[in-house]
Amino acid sequence: MKPVDSTHRPSRRELFDRARNHTARALGPAPAAPTRHHIAGRVTHMRDTGRPRGGASPKTLPTPPPAAIIALTRLGFGPRPGDVATFNGLAGNDPQRLQIWVDQQLDPASINDGDCDARITASGFTTLNKSLAQLWQDHVTSNPPWSVRLQPYYEVERATLLRAAWSRRQLLEVLTDFWHNHFNVYGPDSWAAPVWSHWDRAVIRGNALGNFRNMLGQVAQHPAMLYYLDNYTSTNAGPNENWARELFELQTLGTDHYMGVMQQSQVPPGPGGVPIAYVDDDVFEATRCFTGWTFDFDTGLFAYRSDWHDVFQKTVLGTYIDDHQPALFDGNTVLDVVAAHPGTARHISTKLVRRLIGDNPDPAVIDAAAAVFEAEAAAPDQLAQVVRTIVLHPSFLMTWGDKIKRPLEIVSSAIRAADGRFSYAVDDGDTGTLLWRYDQAGQPLFAWRAPNGFPDHKDDWQSATPRVMAWRLVNWLIDVRDPGNIHRLNVLGQTPAATRTANELADFWINRILGRPMPAVERHEIVEFMAQGHNPDFALPLDSDADTRDRLRSMVGLIFMSPSFLWR
Amino acid sequence: MRRPTRRGFVAGCSAAVAGMAGSRFPSLAFADPDGSINNEVLVVVFLRGGMDGFNMVVPISGADRGHYETARPNLAVPVSGSDSALSLDGVFGFHRSCQAIHELYQSGHVAVVNATGLDESTRSHFDSQEYIERGTPGVRTTASGWLARHFSSAGNLPPEIIMPSVSVGNLQATSLLGDRDTVNMSDPDSFNLQIGPYDWRDAQRVALRHMYTGDTTWLHASGLQALNAMDIVELNTSGNYTPSNGAVYPSNSFGDGLQVIAQMIKLDLGLRVATLDLGGWDTHVSQGDHGVGYFAGVMSTLSEGLAALYTDLDGVGAANYTQRLTMVVQSEFGRRLGENADRGTDHGHGNPMIVISGNAIGGVHGSWPGIGPGQLFDNADLAVTTDFRRVLSEILIRRMGNNHLGVVFPGYADYQPLGIVGGIDLPPDYSATGDGLFSDGFETGGTGSWSLTTP
Repeated sequence: MKPVDSTHRPSRRELFDRARNHTARALGPAPAAPTRHHIAGRVTHMRDTGRPRGGASPKTLPTPPPAAIIALTRLGFGPRPGDVATFNGLAGNDPQRLQIWVDQQLDPASINDGDCDARITASGFTTLNKSLAQLWQDHVTSNPPWSVRLQPYYEVERATLLRAAWSRRQLLEVLTDFWHNHFNVYGPDSWAAPVWSHWDRAVIRGNALGNFRNMLGQVAQHPAMLYYLDNYTSTNAGPNENWARELFELQTLGTDHYMGVMQQSQVPPGPGGVPIAYVDDDVFEATRCFTGWTFDFDTGLFAYRSDWHDVFQKTVLGTYIDDHQPALFDGNTVLDVVAAHPGTARHISTKLVRRLIGDNPDPAVIDAAAAVFEAEAAAPDQLAQVVRTIVLHPSFLMTWGDKIKRPLEIVSSAIRAADGRFSYAVDDGDTGTLLWRYDQAGQPLFAWRAPNGFPDHKDDWQSATPRVMAWRLVNWLIDVRDPGNIHRLNVLGQTPAATRTANELADFWINRILGRPMPAVERHEIVEFMAQGHNPDFALPLDSDADTRDRLRSMVGLIFMSPSFLWR
Repeated sequence: MRRPTRRGFVAGCSAAVAGMAGSRFPSLAFADPDGSINNEVLVVVFLRGGMDGFNMVVPISGADRGHYETARPNLAVPVSGSDSALSLDGVFGFHRSCQAIHELYQSGHVAVVNATGLDESTRSHFDSQEYIERGTPGVRTTASGWLARHFSSAGNLPPEIIMPSVSVGNLQATSLLGDRDTVNMSDPDSFNLQIGPYDWRDAQRVALRHMYTGDTTWLHASGLQALNAMDIVELNTSGNYTPSNGAVYPSNSFGDGLQVIAQMIKLDLGLRVATLDLGGWDTHVSQGDHGVGYFAGVMSTLSEGLAALYTDLDGVGAANYTQRLTMVVQSEFGRRLGENADRGTDHGHGNPMIVISGNAIGGVHGSWPGIGPGQLFDNADLAVTTDFRRVLSEILIRRMGNNHLGVVFPGYADYQPLGIVGGIDLPPDYSATGDGLFSDGFETGGTGSWSLTTP
């Protein structure tokens, strides 16, 4: 594998050339026709959606750990006790183990998740399985108190943390988080929150391993999205382009395949004569196609208003749509066209590779994933096949430390490693505190305002506030007790009776939390902290001295705060 | 020439914090034996979502008033009655909600620059923000933000500086991306590790510092930086901040963020740059008719917040911070001239920038392209007549004393001052290599030339 940065790097020369062109055309009221150079600059050097940044130039990155750790940490929310051994028991070598494990994970129905299900039941959630119509009736039209209106959102928020901690279908949880951010909707919104469990269950979770075009169709007709991006109000007399723009820009082709204000006919054709990129006119034409796509405020269900629809002919990405077509034909055609565009295959694949492997991936992985995305466009498990291609690519097991945990992964992997017990019920005080502290770390679930979703790149998560607030969060985790006065992360209760020296305590908890040894420089600090100047091979009075027990919990917190805990 | 230490914060801070021991360290922050140090503070407020500049800086007379009213039968800000615009120069007026900054305008502290923006045609929020904050229109992949490159090229900052930049909010602003010294903070009072088993907090923190000192990856560097920032903030914040001069900040997160900035300026930690966002401007629907409603509310938060910061910092003698303060307010683009059927506005193009400073040259600046037939960008939006980099470059040169435009805004080559702030003009240096500084804060031992993207 070449450890390359796959993004286009504009040379200084190119920048100056561009600047010259821009000066010529940009300061007048109307833009001059784009030059060939401009077209070349924008398109033949396709840029990635992601952002290579300054500062992330490592001197020494940690070497990749065994497959069990990589898979459980990047395709899941970290190992629970026993997970590493189970993974290693799947086959005789790492590539085989990974293949068996990922095939299980890509068939979540084959995984018995009874324990997680029982915990969801015990948490007393009532809205997770309601139909859209039922949600609307119970949480909107009955005009309930505000807390009831937002209840589906609150329940999904808590169920998401519960599943990250307890579900054995870990890859499904990771991909659900990915697609929530890809099709970002601001969840606490007064019209999204009441239908949040349907959006999560039917649209996101239900399609995370399915077919992209199917998913897109459900996204386009869901009241949460119709409201969030304003299409519910878009009419022939008053078109609103918000949804159509983000459909192109964020959800399908991405701005790597955007050429701004330009005539459609000036966009160079790609394979099959399809324009290689979209322009503003495509957005406007698509806006016309979706006029009349709205929802019924009495039922919450999708509705098509033919009297709001612009019936005349349109052209989107080179596809001509004749006038006076049947209901929904225009919009569905747009969805067909954008879902099938090669730019969409690249855009989605790039984002998935960045999430599952690293921020600067081998371009060959993206090529392979995009090829599968296109070839399997009609397959009901298209997205599962794309993910499988990415995970089984050789670079998956060779990449480590090109990402760090975000707050969701930090809190979930800490709770998993130390077998933390929270009720996750909506009215549970400690769960509320957990969420409040988690939100301060910068990744409140489903609450990113803009339609691009939470940033994924590691550079966005290494500034001081996410770091400090996550440190605070784990120090709270090791301190909080349940009503029976038992620590919710019961560090002492899980420490074997024979494990009493500073060396033993450090190694037991390092292995439990990381599933692998720690670099010597970090382990040294853990041991020194626990020994406090004494011989690290002397037994500590853990059973008789409360202060030593406090120290052990702080030691576990320290492991959660360590650099090793953050690598992905 | 005095060079900034790119590790000023990380390396210099431990010693500084030890030396502080509860007292301030102004001599470190402002030591200026040969008068070559620049003490200016730049506050960049970014309005996320595309602020409707037509309704902030409103045409109030002439032919364009007619075009404006025709295009906005419901959304036009009136010129008479209790919600009427506040005249700036008889041609343009502030939205009525801008009363607080209108008062500053009348005192000569506000420069309005019309029709600024990008020389790119994108109507994407995200591309536009990236282009502006990275300082490279058309290139989103630039590895660092323009403010980070200002620090790396300024050459007139003290060799060690305790807290050169603060990015208020949960995540670091893109304009400061790549700057290792930036402290990102939303609430100084909870920016500490006073949590967990009480007896072991100090020892845990010492061990944590050792763990993050022990290696050389960016993860270690950023962890150490967080620890240093915590030390400083803990030593210097009391938890009970009282604004000066009776300033009243809006009681929301924007007001809270501005107070963080005011505190950090007054602590004399050497703050030079602060960034802060205000969102909620993507008004596709129901933005408020006839000068009232939703937009008016967000605008009054903006106006009252900016005026409160100015008032808070407007002391005398050593506390006369406004004499070295420049605030610049910008958004990724303006909105369309015509209102849509939802009584909102869609994504547009040109937009005003607002500069507030004790050294502002008050007034309405920039060339107004007109909004009549044939004058609009793409027949719909305000055209851009002033590159946003021109406004920022003038502040860089005249206030921050940094003429390395080739580093801060690579590819930008035709700077001319508009006359929006006072100061000394320096010849712009368009060379992209600056004086051999690195973009990423790590001395990689490479070629020594400044590089635009990740090495």
